[in-house]
Amino acid sequence: MLIMSNTENIIIYDSVKGINLEGEFQGSIITRCKDENDSIIFSDNVKISDSEGIFINNGLRVGFELNYDKKIAFSRKIVAQWYEDFESIEYSILISEDLMQVYDEGQFSDAFPYTLNKLNTAALYLDDYEYGINHLEFFREEMLRNPVSLVGNGVILADRVVIDERIDPVFYDCLIVGRDENGDLLVSFEPYMNVKKSLTDVKYIIILGIEELKL
Amino acid sequence: MILYENRKELLLNAIKWGNNPFKKFVSTGEIKEDLDLVNSRIDLIKKIKELVKNEANFILPIIGDVGSGKTHLFWALRNSLYYYNTIYISLEYVYKKLFSNIYSEFIENLEMEPLKFIVNQLCDKWGALERKFGFFHVVDIKKVQKYAFEQLLNKYNEVEPETLKDVINGITLHQLDPYKKIEAERWLLGELMDTKELSTLNLTHDLRKGKNAYLMLRLLVENSKSGTILFIDDFGKIISIMSPQSEQTEEVFDPSWLYGTEVSPNDIATDKIFNKIIQLQNIEGLRIIITLKSKESLVEIRKKYSEKNPELLSSLREPFYLSEFKEEDVYELYNSTMSKFYESIDHTKFSKAFQNPYYPLNKQTLKYVFERAEGNPRAIIKLLIKIFNEIIYSNESIDVILKEYENTNT
Repeated sequence: MLIMSNTENIIIYDSVKGINLEGEFQGSIITRCKDENDSIIFSDNVKISDSEGIFINNGLRVGFELNYDKKIAFSRKIVAQWYEDFESIEYSILISEDLMQVYDEGQFSDAFPYTLNKLNTAALYLDDYEYGINHLEFFREEMLRNPVSLVGNGVILADRVVIDERIDPVFYDCLIVGRDENGDLLVSFEPYMNVKKSLTDVKYIIILGIEELKL
Repeated sequence: MILYENRKELLLNAIKWGNNPFKKFVSTGEIKEDLDLVNSRIDLIKKIKELVKNEANFILPIIGDVGSGKTHLFWALRNSLYYYNTIYISLEYVYKKLFSNIYSEFIENLEMEPLKFIVNQLCDKWGALERKFGFFHVVDIKKVQKYAFEQLLNKYNEVEPETLKDVINGITLHQLDPYKKIEAERWLLGELMDTKELSTLNLTHDLRKGKNAYLMLRLLVENSKSGTILFIDDFGKIISIMSPQSEQTEEVFDPSWLYGTEVSPNDIATDKIFNKIIQLQNIEGLRIIITLKSKESLVEIRKKYSEKNPELLSSLREPFYLSEFKEEDVYELYNSTMSKFYESIDHTKFSKAFQNPYYPLNKQTLKYVFERAEGNPRAIIKLLIKIFNEIIYSNESIDVILKEYENTNT
C-alpha cells in the first residue's frame, strides 16, 4: 500500500494507542523517538512492516547529544535507516497536504523579510538540570528562522520564533503535534503561539541551520 | 397646510446650476463607463461572450463607423466579463512601445495579489517550493533559475537567452530573496529603473524593453487562471499608416535616401506593429478584439495576413458589426442617462415623477435628435448636450427652446 498527498492526517504508528499501519507512506511525516533526548525525525517517507520495523529514507533527525560535559543540539541527515525495534519510536504521523499548504503560505510570507537564519543547527533553550542551555536573553527581540521545539507533550515546528521583551518565545506559523486529554494524537496549525516559559514545560528549542538543511 | 413640491422646477433648477446630464460624448479607454449598452446591442455582447467562452485564441474584428460606440462597447464588455483580465489599448495613441504599454495595462487590471499568486505558481513549477525532508523549503535560487531557464528555453525557443535570464531573475528574486523583494517588485510592476538598481538584481533591462515586457506578459497570461481579453481600439491605424500619403504634402526629406526605394518608413512601421500583433497571437489564452472603421480596412488586414502569415488567417474571425442606433435606442439611452443623473444629484424619485417620461425634453425632441443624427450614437449625444446647454444658459422658457428641436425639416 502506497499513500501519497493525503487530505487528512494519518497516524501511521502510535505506541500509546497501539496503531500500526503497514505500508509505504509519502508526504510530510513527523516521527517522535522514545530516546532520552526526545529526538524528532522529519521525513518525506516512511515504510512500516510488522516483520522488519520502521524504515526511513532521507530524513532529518533533530535532538541533543552529550559531548563530554556538554549537551549539543544536532540535526543529522538519515540516509537510510531501519528502526527494527518499535520500542524506539513513540509515534509517526503523516501531516495532511491541506495543512502543509497552509504551513507553506506562512513560510513564504513577506511580512518579515529580516529574519535571522542560522547557518548551523544550535540550541536556543534546553531545560536540563545538569546541562541546561538558555540563550533567550541574547536573542531578546530578535526573530530566528526554523525553530523546532518540544513543549510538554507537543512538538512545534514553526517558520520563525521571536523572543519577546519578557524573554518568552513566540512561535509564528507553526505546526503542532500533540496528544489530547485522551492521549489521541492531534495536529494543528497556529499562525501565532505564545509560550510562557515559566508556565509551560518547554523542554527545548532548537534552531535548524540552513546549511544543514541543504545537505 | 399641504406643501406642494414643484418637481419640474426643482429639476430645471438643478440643471440650470450647470449640471448637464450628457457631459461626455467621447468614450475613452481610461475613464470608466458605467452606462450599459442599449437593448439592440445586447445580442452583440452575447455573441462576443459566447466566443470568449468557447475559444481561447482568436482575433475578432468589430466594425463600426466613427462615433458608433466601439470604445463604449469595450466598457460594456469589461463590465460583463469582469472575471476575465481585460486590457484596453488604442493604436491611435499607442503604437510605439506596444508591449510595454500592454504590460502596464495588464498589471493595472490584474492588481498585486493575483500577480503575486501567478509568480508564486511559476516558482513552484520551477521547483522552488520543494520540501526538503517533507517540511523545509531550502531555497537554492541558482538551482531554481537554472531549471527555469532550461524549461523556458525549450518552450520559447525563439526568445533570446538574455531576455529569458532577465525575466527568470525578476520573478525568482521577487519570490525567493526577501532582501531584494522590494526592488524586484518594482521591476515586476513595470516601473522605470536605472542601471544601478537593475544591476543589484542582476538584470539587464526593465520592462520598458519590449522583449522583456512581451515575455513577462506571455508568462502571466499563459499562467493566469482567468482568461485575458486584449481590446485593440482603432486597429485601422495600421491601414492608415500603410496607405500612401497625400501628394500635396510637401516632402522636405526624401525617406528613400535612408530606406531605399523599395520600402518606405511607413511600411517599416506597419510591419513592426503587424509583427507585434502576430507575436501577441502566439500567447495561449489571449483573445484579441480589434475595432475597425470599415469593411475595406478588414480586407486590407486579411491581405496583410495572407502576405505575412497565412496560417494565422484562420484565427481571424468573421467580423461583428456595430450598427447605428434605432429610434427606440435613443429613448432608452436618454432614460438610462437621466436615471444616472438623478442618482448623482440624489433625487432618484425624479425617474417616475413626471407624466412626460422624457421631461425636461419630450418624445418629439428625441425623435428629432435621432433623425438629425441619423442614428449615430456620438452625434445623438452631441445634440443632446447642445439642447441641455441651451436649457442651462438660455433665458427662454423650456417650451420655446424645445420648439426649435421639434421639426426635422428645419
